[in-house]
Amino acid sequence: MKLALEGVGHSFLGRAVFENIDLSLHAGEVVALIGPSGCGKTTVLQIAAGLIEPLRGRVRRAYRRHAVVFQEPRLLPWMTARDNIAYGLRAAGAARGLRNEAAERRAAEVGLHLRDLDKYPAELSGGMRQRAAVARSLAVDPDIVFFDEPFTAVDVGLKRVLQDLVIEAAVRDQFSALFVTHDLSEAVRVAHRLVVLAGGSGGLLADRPIEGRPGTRSDREIFAIVEAWSQDAEFRELFDGARESVS
Amino acid sequence: MKALAQRFAFIGWAARYVWSAWAGAAGLFCLAAAWQAGHEFYGSFILPSPLETLQTLSVIIHEPAFVQAAKETAERSLAGFLLAVGFGTTAGAIAGYSFAAMRLMRPIVTVILGVPPIAWIVLALIWFGSTGGSAVMTVVVAALPISFAGGLEGVATRDRALDAMARSFGAGGWMRFRTVTLPHLISYLFPAWTTTAGTAWKITVMAELLSNSGGIGGELATARALFDIPRVMALIVAVVVFALVTEYVLLQPLRDRLERWREAGLPWGIKR
Repeated sequence: MKLALEGVGHSFLGRAVFENIDLSLHAGEVVALIGPSGCGKTTVLQIAAGLIEPLRGRVRRAYRRHAVVFQEPRLLPWMTARDNIAYGLRAAGAARGLRNEAAERRAAEVGLHLRDLDKYPAELSGGMRQRAAVARSLAVDPDIVFFDEPFTAVDVGLKRVLQDLVIEAAVRDQFSALFVTHDLSEAVRVAHRLVVLAGGSGGLLADRPIEGRPGTRSDREIFAIVEAWSQDAEFRELFDGARESVS
Repeated sequence: MKALAQRFAFIGWAARYVWSAWAGAAGLFCLAAAWQAGHEFYGSFILPSPLETLQTLSVIIHEPAFVQAAKETAERSLAGFLLAVGFGTTAGAIAGYSFAAMRLMRPIVTVILGVPPIAWIVLALIWFGSTGGSAVMTVVVAALPISFAGGLEGVATRDRALDAMARSFGAGGWMRFRTVTLPHLISYLFPAWTTTAGTAWKITVMAELLSNSGGIGGELATARALFDIPRVMALIVAVVVFALVTEYVLLQPLRDRLERWREAGLPWGIKR
């Protein structure tokens, strides 16, 4: 067990977002967290990553390092892609040569050219920026990576490429991951296990393994799983736009 | 190889920077033309011509008394500038981080801003007498609010999303300040600093003139008493040249170097 959330609950300005969440992450496991918009998925992730303190419950961690990939790339505009990728290592106190070497290796892994490394984020395309953000998280050799709807803003083709990149990296570097998304087919594509968070200050609705391993499921299989689960009562909320407007 | 490439990049940047001075020079020549027109209308006694002024200037820069006066004024402006920028920026940054500090300091700064500089000179004269201290103090008091506002706005508008990113990698407070807040802060501070630098020269001369404490202000007072109008004009031009040099030779190149990333984001055609 790498990470465990026990009875975690949180509220903003007295309004409960969610209550009593138990969630654990095992070594090498990718868990997708899915839920309707505004249900607190990102808050769960931020609590897990230690960016906010939960109001109730506790978080137990048994790992060295984690990294977060945010919805936006969040690159520092005044640093080159190279320095941005090495940022986590710099925070960890790694020497310059080591940082440089890691940045170049990770950039190659996410498909960034060497000549792009000396450019500033403003000179990179949106896809390249998100690749750099992924490289930055991988560069610290994390035991857990937290993904916060990382590929919502990229186009469909690139989204697949980036998902494959994450799947491949998770297998190669054997990190665990919590992957927050609102897209069921993305969740089914990248994760071992799926957790559904209820809207309207509920807790977890469902926690179920996904058949097969990430990266080995065909598009047809993914489509079949998504199709079957869409009929499921536990997932209905995800697809029911009317509920959101009522609450 | 890389060092060579960097050297070429630096030479290219420096050449571009110097070349961009032509546009500024064109603006200055327009001003000189208007000045000449005024001279031809009113005559030499009211407004000496630009040429006359430059001739006088070329004479007085060789006078030891002028060199001494210019040195005094430069030292006082620099001291005032450094103190104003140092205190103002630090206090502003603290206020940007802490809302309690901001609520406490803002009224103080408003009060300082509300008191006219001329009143400060009177107070400084009483406190420091006819020394350079009164000029320095006046500069500090008059210019401090600008740096304060710059520091406050810069820190208060820092990108909290980037700060959260840095925290997620375990970056400590000092590293977050250096890598996330400071580069953002710089873009707020430079306008404040250039304004302060210009103000420092002007106020130093004013304080010197009124407190009779030497420097270029003292020279101006003497020239005025002797009705030596070309000398007055030459001294004014000298102060303006000092202010221009401070801004375009000292501060702007520094800003250009520190904010290269901003230029990288500009599309072709609007690069300066």
